[in-house]
Amino acid sequence: MDCQCCNRKKATVRICDLEDNSIAEQHNVCADCFALVKRYLFDMARPLAATADIVREVQSLLNADQTALALPENPGALAPIASNVPVCPECGMTLADFKARGRFGCPRDYEVFAEHLDPLFERIHDVQPPRHKGRTPDALEGRDVIVARTRQLAQLRERLEAAVREENFELAARLRDEINELQGKDITRA
Amino acid sequence: MSDIADNFPHLLGEWLKGTGPESDVVVSTRVRFARNIQGFPFTGRGDATQREAVLTMVNSALRRVHLDRSVVSLQLDKLEGIARDVLVERHLISRELASGEGPRGVTYGRGEMLSIMVNEEDHLRLQWIKAGFDPERAWKALCKVDRALEKVLPYAFSERYGYLTACPTNVGTGMRVSVMVHLPALTLKEHIEKVYNAAKRMNHAVRGLYGEGTRAYGDMYQISNQATLGRTEEDILESVGRIVPKILEYERQTRAQLYTEDRGLLEDKVMRALALLRNARRLNVQEMMSQLSMLRLGIDMGVVSDITLRTVNELFLLGQPSHLMRKEGRTLNAAERDELRARMVRSMLAHGEN
Repeated sequence: MDCQCCNRKKATVRICDLEDNSIAEQHNVCADCFALVKRYLFDMARPLAATADIVREVQSLLNADQTALALPENPGALAPIASNVPVCPECGMTLADFKARGRFGCPRDYEVFAEHLDPLFERIHDVQPPRHKGRTPDALEGRDVIVARTRQLAQLRERLEAAVREENFELAARLRDEINELQGKDITRA
Repeated sequence: MSDIADNFPHLLGEWLKGTGPESDVVVSTRVRFARNIQGFPFTGRGDATQREAVLTMVNSALRRVHLDRSVVSLQLDKLEGIARDVLVERHLISRELASGEGPRGVTYGRGEMLSIMVNEEDHLRLQWIKAGFDPERAWKALCKVDRALEKVLPYAFSERYGYLTACPTNVGTGMRVSVMVHLPALTLKEHIEKVYNAAKRMNHAVRGLYGEGTRAYGDMYQISNQATLGRTEEDILESVGRIVPKILEYERQTRAQLYTEDRGLLEDKVMRALALLRNARRLNVQEMMSQLSMLRLGIDMGVVSDITLRTVNELFLLGQPSHLMRKEGRTLNAAERDELRARMVRSMLAHGEN
């Protein structure tokens, strides 16, 4: 059978969408196209999409001859990760990115880039050491729940990356759904 | 456009009253806090789904804290451009929020003193505006709202850096105090440059409120603290409370000097401004603001006595382009706006008014 994405190579991977534990839809793709598809399937920065939509998106990339853009440098990974530059695991912001834009990507960046921030903050705020002296928020109702949730999310994301690297897609899909569910909770009601 | 007209109280914002401490020079004092919610990327890096989630979370939190029956919530991406510009002219939202994209909103109330922007550069921008120079009370009023919200919203906060914000210039307290001042005498005598430099040395910024670059139409300026980290909120209030009065004193001395040394010139400028405002058939917004500026000065110096500061403050706002269009209920070209503006100014400044 030919790959449903590129229609050229032999399909070697079958992707099944399950609904109530039975197969609702399936797609057969080649190994190369699957490398593209799985980036979409497990990219937490995107909203969850049906496989059919993802296949269509990959097809349009192929038609536009944009595969080079879509392919990660390191095929197993979700985001380009070089060990010597700090990258925020939450939002993918790099230090160079931050310096170019002058804006942080998410609150976690303050922790990830901590050792590079003091000289900048000293200059902007004309203060040494650049540490917070103002007030601290009062205890949040149910703060423990939220802290636990944030920690749990970070762990799940790490496990998801590992699962994708090891091509354990069944586990990856389960983890992805768990993350989505946890993220979607209205934590003001927690 | 009807939706916003319906939502708008016909009364003008509390801070336009022309009263409050130091109202001869200070129009209003605004305190704002920048706040973000943990677990979400800052607005600039969030996608539509994440911005929607932030907006939903904040709105549900706002309902839970029962602010007031007077508050109005608007989703800006569902409003027309003119309606958003009206909110900008009323100082309820920033130009950036008006022209931004994706799910974003504003909740305002308490005589338009309180405004909470959602999904501006930070997830939340809370502000309280008071008439005259009143940083302490504006801050206390805003703290109440902030404290209520922090019990139900998980603010992004670190022991080391305080409230975490998208831009490093706001981190720490996330607090900015901005004082809107009218400095016609210092502008006339070309002393503004000195004010800019002195404020800068003391870590405060002075910028024109209307117009771009160094041009400040209507001689309206905004003085605000630059540093937000490494200080307590009280430190910031104290430094604003130290620097602003010096600028006010400088303006008053220059006004007094004008009065004693150049009284003829002062009276001539004020009375010409009044004559022009009372008679012009077409007024563009810059001209209106610069003549109103002279009139405001004339009221303070006792040259004009039959017009109140409040009327001048109101005209500054009602004569802005989007307010005119909202009043007419349709888009107007420049000439139409100038005629309508002139008519409104004439009627509000008519003899025997007030």
